[in-house]
Amino acid sequence: MCFMCFLLPIHLFGKGEVYEVVQGTIRFHSDAPQELIRASSDKLIGVLDVVNRTFLFKIDVASFVGFNSPLQKEHFNENYMESDLFPVAVYSGKIIEDMDLSKDGDFNIRTKGKLTIHGIDHQCIIRCHVICKKGVVTVQSDFIVLLADYNIKIPRIVYDKLSPQINVSVNAVLSVKSPS
Amino acid sequence: MKIRILILLLFPLVILCGPGYSAFAQNTEDTTKDNIDELAKLLDSTSKGGVHSYYTTATFKSTRIINGHSIENVGKGVLDFRIAHRFGELNEGVKNLYGLDNATTKFSFDYGITDWLMVGVGRSSFEKEYDGFFKIKILRQTINDACPISLSYLGGMSVKTMDVAKIPGYTYYLSNRLFYIDELILARKFNQYFSLQLMPCYLHYNIVSELGEPNDVFAIGAGGRMKLSKRIAVTAEYYYTVPGHKLNGYNNSLSVGVDIETGGHVFQLFVTNSAAVTERTFIGETTGDPFNGALHLGFNISRVFTVVRTPQVK
Repeated sequence: MCFMCFLLPIHLFGKGEVYEVVQGTIRFHSDAPQELIRASSDKLIGVLDVVNRTFLFKIDVASFVGFNSPLQKEHFNENYMESDLFPVAVYSGKIIEDMDLSKDGDFNIRTKGKLTIHGIDHQCIIRCHVICKKGVVTVQSDFIVLLADYNIKIPRIVYDKLSPQINVSVNAVLSVKSPS
Repeated sequence: MKIRILILLLFPLVILCGPGYSAFAQNTEDTTKDNIDELAKLLDSTSKGGVHSYYTTATFKSTRIINGHSIENVGKGVLDFRIAHRFGELNEGVKNLYGLDNATTKFSFDYGITDWLMVGVGRSSFEKEYDGFFKIKILRQTINDACPISLSYLGGMSVKTMDVAKIPGYTYYLSNRLFYIDELILARKFNQYFSLQLMPCYLHYNIVSELGEPNDVFAIGAGGRMKLSKRIAVTAEYYYTVPGHKLNGYNNSLSVGVDIETGGHVFQLFVTNSAAVTERTFIGETTGDPFNGALHLGFNISRVFTVVRTPQVK
């Protein structure tokens, strides 16, 4: 038992195992009866270990732009996401399907992991469409985030203006991490 | 018998393998976790600029604390329409319904040309004064405290258009009616709830009413806000005029109020000892003595309109 513990973990990343986000965008929209709110950020960062099939993606909440007014952006950061207290949103986990991302191909995969928004962790499974081509991995994913899961309350006064479910869309291009 | 021996032989194997198997499962979970931790370290070590390098927002809810300016500007392309109202003095008694019978008002339009430059014009009913100003952000506090404070400059000018009794033989210049304000605003948002700012002010009167009165008035203001909930905050503001650099017979301005925010509106309700709303009148010419009940109920209403929208990321 003990010697197995020594055998399994601890191996440092070798060359070509870790991919890094070179260009990543997250968009979201809230489609409420009275108002459509859209915002986006191209500040997505992240790494993907193709051998262990684990990944971690991260974004600065304050980096989202768009919205319908600067005041709305301020309210997003101040009243809903509380970006001073919880500056980042993170998704980390593992790809469920046993597959080799270092080979070229077009895959529909499921990822299982922990999504942290507004300081609250939530286990979830997110489907992704992945295209691997010549060492470049393109990831596309659409999913829904329920505000109630992350303890983000909608005040009565904006009930018709903010949807309880937010549609999120992620686009990322990853390539082999250059040694630093 | 044979079966019993077989079981005896197999038993140690089961003992060895059973926990061994579960330990293996445990280890894959741990490996995944270790792996993600390793990835997190990798990401932190290479991410450019790092997180938290964003500007602090919402140090105050509105561009005015109560009477005077806060560190906030309206955003780029946003028009802010404001109505300010000051009732009469509370000690006027029931005959004037504690001051509610009288009021001075001010209408103003503020516009954000860029995120750091804001301009505004307004008209106040007290002495029929028109005013214009611009406010520039010089330093901005960041979330990671790389810059611990925000600093802005406010420059403004106003003109009093009320008719005055003219004495024959004297020339009355337009410049006699002009007033100027220069103000620095230093602010810090200490946490989600508490913000504080200091405002050194310099007021210039082209002409003053009495001989020996200074044309330059110096004052230092302090203002703060304490949030009670996400949308309600308590605010206070005080302007101390420096003795020897103030007009005769006027008091320092003291105000205490509540900010209520509802979507695109901010309501500010307060009591103040200043009867009027422009910088010249509340910093330099506050008449009421707050300890004698000479307080005015007042409110500001702010409504923002987005004129030019900010674009999305392509």
